[in-house]
Amino acid sequence: MTKRGTILIAVVAAIALLAAACGDDGDDTTAPQPPPPATEAPAEPAAPEPPPATEAAAPETTEAAEEAVELSQAGGRLAEVQARGSVRCGVRDALPGFNFLTPDGDHEGFDSDFCRVIAAAVLGDAGAVDFVDLATADRFTALQSGEIDVLVRNTTFTASRDGKEAANFVYTTLYDGQGVVVPAATGITDLEGLADANICVAQGTTTELNLTDVMRSRNIPFNPVTFGESSEARVGYTAGQCEAFTSDKSSLAVFKYEIENGGGDEQFILPETISKEPLGPAVLDGDTEWAQVVQWAVMATIQAWEFGLDSGNITSATGDNPALARFLGEEGFDPGIGLPSDFAVQVVSQVGNYEEIYERHLEPLGLPLHGSVNDLWTHGGLMYVPPYR
Amino acid sequence: MTTAGPSPDRPATGAGRAAPPRPTAAAWARENLFNNRHNSVLTVLLGAGLVVLVIYGARFLFVTGQWEPVRTNLTLLMMGTFPREEQWRIVVQVYLLCASVGLLWGGLTASSRDRARDAGVPFSRARLRDGVRRWWPVFVLLAVLLGMTRTWLPLAFVASALALGVAARRVMEALPEAGRRAAWFGAGVCALAGWQVLSGTGGIAWWWGSALVAAAVVRLTRNVRTDARWQPLARLTLVAGAVAVVWAVYAQLDFGGVGWDDWSGFQLNLVAAAASIVLAFPVGLLAAVGRRSQLPAVRWLSVGYIEVIRGVPLITLLFMGDLFLGFFLPTEDPLSKVTRAIAVMTLFTGAYLAEIVRGGLQAVPRGQVEAAQAIGLSAPRVLSLIVLPQALRAVIPALVGQFINLFKDSTLLSIIALTEILRIRESIHGQREFLIVGIAETLVFVAFAFWALAFTMSRESQRLERRLGVGER
Repeated sequence: MTKRGTILIAVVAAIALLAAACGDDGDDTTAPQPPPPATEAPAEPAAPEPPPATEAAAPETTEAAEEAVELSQAGGRLAEVQARGSVRCGVRDALPGFNFLTPDGDHEGFDSDFCRVIAAAVLGDAGAVDFVDLATADRFTALQSGEIDVLVRNTTFTASRDGKEAANFVYTTLYDGQGVVVPAATGITDLEGLADANICVAQGTTTELNLTDVMRSRNIPFNPVTFGESSEARVGYTAGQCEAFTSDKSSLAVFKYEIENGGGDEQFILPETISKEPLGPAVLDGDTEWAQVVQWAVMATIQAWEFGLDSGNITSATGDNPALARFLGEEGFDPGIGLPSDFAVQVVSQVGNYEEIYERHLEPLGLPLHGSVNDLWTHGGLMYVPPYR
Repeated sequence: MTTAGPSPDRPATGAGRAAPPRPTAAAWARENLFNNRHNSVLTVLLGAGLVVLVIYGARFLFVTGQWEPVRTNLTLLMMGTFPREEQWRIVVQVYLLCASVGLLWGGLTASSRDRARDAGVPFSRARLRDGVRRWWPVFVLLAVLLGMTRTWLPLAFVASALALGVAARRVMEALPEAGRRAAWFGAGVCALAGWQVLSGTGGIAWWWGSALVAAAVVRLTRNVRTDARWQPLARLTLVAGAVAVVWAVYAQLDFGGVGWDDWSGFQLNLVAAAASIVLAFPVGLLAAVGRRSQLPAVRWLSVGYIEVIRGVPLITLLFMGDLFLGFFLPTEDPLSKVTRAIAVMTLFTGAYLAEIVRGGLQAVPRGQVEAAQAIGLSAPRVLSLIVLPQALRAVIPALVGQFINLFKDSTLLSIIALTEILRIRESIHGQREFLIVGIAETLVFVAFAFWALAFTMSRESQRLERRLGVGER
């Protein structure tokens, strides 16, 4: 009995020691690890100060300076990205037009190009992107755990995602809206026609919630048939499991085009748009510096479009007017965002302006840009960015 | 179709019983398929169903099936986002691996040939066509892959790699015994070099290289006779010195490479499964032996490990490894996603293997252990020479079954967003031209790739059972 007791105590002690050691490790990783200073700005005020009069004052000033560095880089994501030399971008590899793998293993699409935009702006190299393929359900977990720097995954900006999910949405890159597609042969032309119908929808998306909201508010009974991913819901509809399929109208246009081109039945997209779906990149809450960097990198593609600059002419463009000169970074203009002064040139020359990116990936799918809500504000669209000055 | 009829006498596999004369087809059918009215009806119905199934299946495979998405994306399915300009690394690795396997195979053949010669029993050497017959599902898979590429280069590559393996086997067999001993290390060096050409000098290559060098030093100094008191120390110093040299050399080397973090597609499934199988075996063995240990602390630790891991679904463990492990590990140099997933799969399989092996250990009669102790064997020797060989022999089917499970479970990596083959398949249907084309076909292809390898593993385990006489002796 006593022998057993001793062993038990020994085991408990060992476990306690282990736990303590683990605890120490945890502290080590968080506290005494000041990120490398990325920007010289916070350190500058300390430097030109006159040397301290007494020896005793010296430690205080350096301490204060260090504290300032710590505070200004509370998030430190920008410094982390720069030190790593690549942007970790959360995407989904099976979204037609937005991001998918080519047979050569490259990422192609509207979303992946905006990942490249961010990399080109921050690191000067559009190729410096680590794509992280994320399922619909764990995209925000990946953002929260810091596994990715930015989420560019066809994600709708909503209040609870901004709040509860701790996401910080930056500039909306695509204004989409939800629609419903049915086989044209059914003759259904509005939502009322879908009474008691099976409707295929992807689970855990705003799409599913919007559908429920709209149908409930109009007292239309229906059976949702849910799938893990939008791609699977699409397959379910094609296989005849549902009378209708709902998704963002951009995906529906692609889908209709594909079915009809593949010799399938004619499809009809109901004219109603049942929700607003502003899609855009998101970063984690609590790091304003990084959010601004991503925001301005994305907005540069639209500003370039407004200036008439594209990947072909931006390197030869000269700043005739002061606004253009600032945008091109010609006089070393630095608004203090944390981006190099030539970031816009890098973005547009390596990836393209918004119009080019859109036309490269979404126009071939039957989604025209001009005249749509995603057109430039000067043409009656919603793409309007603040002045770069 | 023999479900309804009484099963015929099993053909005798052991010696002593002569095989019964082969019945004619008609007699066989009468006895097994149409032996009474009910069975005749059943046979006709099921037979008709089978014919319809075969016709539909064949039509799908050869006529209606749209295999274009698979064909276009064959490389993508196999290696995913692996950088295409680094493909030569895979080619070199496959060659070196074939050479290594050839050397090992030749070495095994040669040593069993020598043993047979010493014992004066006839020896029949396994021929290449035996290998093809035994491994036919793998060769069918290879044929399908090569047929789909419709170019000659991959065919030339596969043929030359196989030829290299066969040649290495021949060379190994022809070597005298002393030469063979050196060539065993050659096989290890080939495998190591192949791995390093592919994945660079980082990561586990350091450990692998060190282990190889240490083994070589131990082996080479085995027969050096010095003062017995100093020998262990001297050898230890030598090993440490050699390992230090290896590390010094590795620190200087840098010839690029693509680590397994950047692997995807079927390659990732294979590597994750193979790595977990290799690593889980010792873990399971230790836990099984630990569970039967006389020392309570060891026993409790083993029981705790086994029961905690076995009580939790693999998906949960994978999620925990993916999401939580990051919080416990230092952030500067976190283990990569793939490494964490392999660690989780290793721990999971290790717990199951432990229980399987424990079953085998319990099947070894107590008298065996007592007899071994009576002739003065030490505890480790009782375990390694008497108990484990008998215990492991008894559990081969269960072990291989667990390995097959693990291989198939590698598709679960898709839920923690590792782009293994199933996830690559989804991505194919994100390509504009294959949005809704060939959805069933790509799935069938993935299923076939898994089946070919899993079925081969299962056949090999049955062969091993027969050779070791499990269930007969």
